Amino acid sequence: MKKYTLTLVSFVSIAASLLWLFGLGWTFQDQFSANKKFDQPKVKTDSVTSKQDDALSIFALGDSLTRGTGDADGNGYTGYLSDLLKKKSEQEITLVNTAVKGETSSGLLKQMKQSEIQRQAKQADVIVMTIGGNDLFQQGAALESLNMDTINSQKQLYLTNVKKIYEQLRAQNEEAVIYHVGLYNPFSNLPDAKTTSSIVRDWNFQTAEMAANFENIIYVPTFDLFQLQVENYLYTDQFHPNTEGYKLIAERVASLITFEQEGNES
Amino acid sequence: MINLVRNEMLKLLRKKRLYVIVLIIAFLVPLFTYAQFKTIQEQREKLGAQDWRTALQQEITDTQNRLSSSRLQDEWRKYLKIRLSQQQYYLENDIDPRAPGAPTFMRVFVENSIDLLLPLLVMVIVADLVSSEASGGTIKLLLTRPVKRWRILLSKYLAMLLSVSFIVLSVAVLSYLISGVVFGYGGWNMPLLTGFAVSGDELLTENVHIVPQWQYILMEFGLVWYVCVIVGTLTFMLSVLLRSTAAVMGIMLAALIAGAILVNMVSSWESAKYFFMVNLNLTNYVSGMATPIEGMSLGFSMAVLAVWGIAGFIIAFVTFSKRDIY
Repeated sequence: MKKYTLTLVSFVSIAASLLWLFGLGWTFQDQFSANKKFDQPKVKTDSVTSKQDDALSIFALGDSLTRGTGDADGNGYTGYLSDLLKKKSEQEITLVNTAVKGETSSGLLKQMKQSEIQRQAKQADVIVMTIGGNDLFQQGAALESLNMDTINSQKQLYLTNVKKIYEQLRAQNEEAVIYHVGLYNPFSNLPDAKTTSSIVRDWNFQTAEMAANFENIIYVPTFDLFQLQVENYLYTDQFHPNTEGYKLIAERVASLITFEQEGNES
Repeated sequence: MINLVRNEMLKLLRKKRLYVIVLIIAFLVPLFTYAQFKTIQEQREKLGAQDWRTALQQEITDTQNRLSSSRLQDEWRKYLKIRLSQQQYYLENDIDPRAPGAPTFMRVFVENSIDLLLPLLVMVIVADLVSSEASGGTIKLLLTRPVKRWRILLSKYLAMLLSVSFIVLSVAVLSYLISGVVFGYGGWNMPLLTGFAVSGDELLTENVHIVPQWQYILMEFGLVWYVCVIVGTLTFMLSVLLRSTAAVMGIMLAALIAGAILVNMVSSWESAKYFFMVNLNLTNYVSGMATPIEGMSLGFSMAVLAVWGIAGFIIAFVTFSKRDIY
């Protein structure tokens, strides 16, 4: 018995040694021979659009507001939105959030080029987005100096970008309603509130005008939500909404979405 | 010679060390399997029953968000950036790098154990190969035989090589069999990308090509075996130099753990790349991870390991042949 085990173990070990040596040799051959051409794998992307028809899929994109920066639970308005919709419609909701903190309209436009983002946009029933906050506020710097020239040139750039974003979303998905959540003025309790508010209002107005050129793109105002008692709805950075603020936004968007759904069904 | 090796193998088996190693692996693998299973399950719960593309995309955006945070170490930022572009690349080529299955588990398990767990297991076997004969006094009996000293040591060395192969094999077999119960046994032909090169914090993809998972795994196990042999040789050398097994284990243990720690903090100390323990993570080059120190590559690391291995081998044989035994 002992002898038998010994022979067995020895032979297994020898075989294993040869196998691993072979693997090592193959590694050399594979990793160090440089001129291999990478043949694109067969494209099978579209066959797997695993869209569950019974579920309502929300696709969220944009900047830190969509990401949920400032919310204690990290849900953001998208999280509360899908909670609200789940309760109201008793439907399965899938939420895909590709928002990136600090994203500007140019950054989002770049992100839209990724094939996976396009695929998600194609599958979505509802698209929600926030963009523009970083273009305008530049993390709080622009509005403090209140230089109208910079703000105007930013606005032009932003508007052309937004137009392209709308066009690309529409090109991917003709049906989904797009909710573009607007800007509020986080500085409305500061001394310069009059000026800053008028800048934000103008910014919102121009974006809403742009959205009106497209079908089913709804610009959701949030300016009024934060107009009074802004400090109660802001996170400690005095810029992003806190949990309460996000809930306000979510409620507003949610009411629009259910309305749309019922409208479609009847 | 064959008889001598046979004799050494018999001693090894008598000591029951190999069984202990196999038992350790058989105990650890279910743990990791369970952990992995939990992770997958939790991810599913969080994202709903979605396909992997959505999950991967979600992970990519999460990483992007972390990158935009300003309180991020440069090291970590570089690592994240490289992983990000790699994931993006997988996504664009419609390949799921983590499709669950026993082969995938095997691959991930061995990638994670190459720098510490497996070398430790090897060390347990090899540490007392020679030193126990010295401390037990049996070395005298062994050397009074009419056989050249180097042949005796060589037979021990060959037995060491065989047992290293055996350990690596048992890791492969056990991780496959045990994890397959949960993840299923399929997935050998899944395509994977290899050949990523890293330069600075850029990921170079011109050499990237597809290999089926079974070939990928075979390659990685080849590298694992190589690392284990080198660690085995160094332990073997210490075992010749020192009479106390505990000392051998202590030194190797310290070196290996120091390596694991060093990898995380040496990036600015460039000459540290000539230490063997910083170079153990060979599989990272195949999968295309960031290197701990600028300028390291698969060829470089293997060469460094080879130099250490050969030096250890020579020192062991010279000392053993010259030493006075009393």
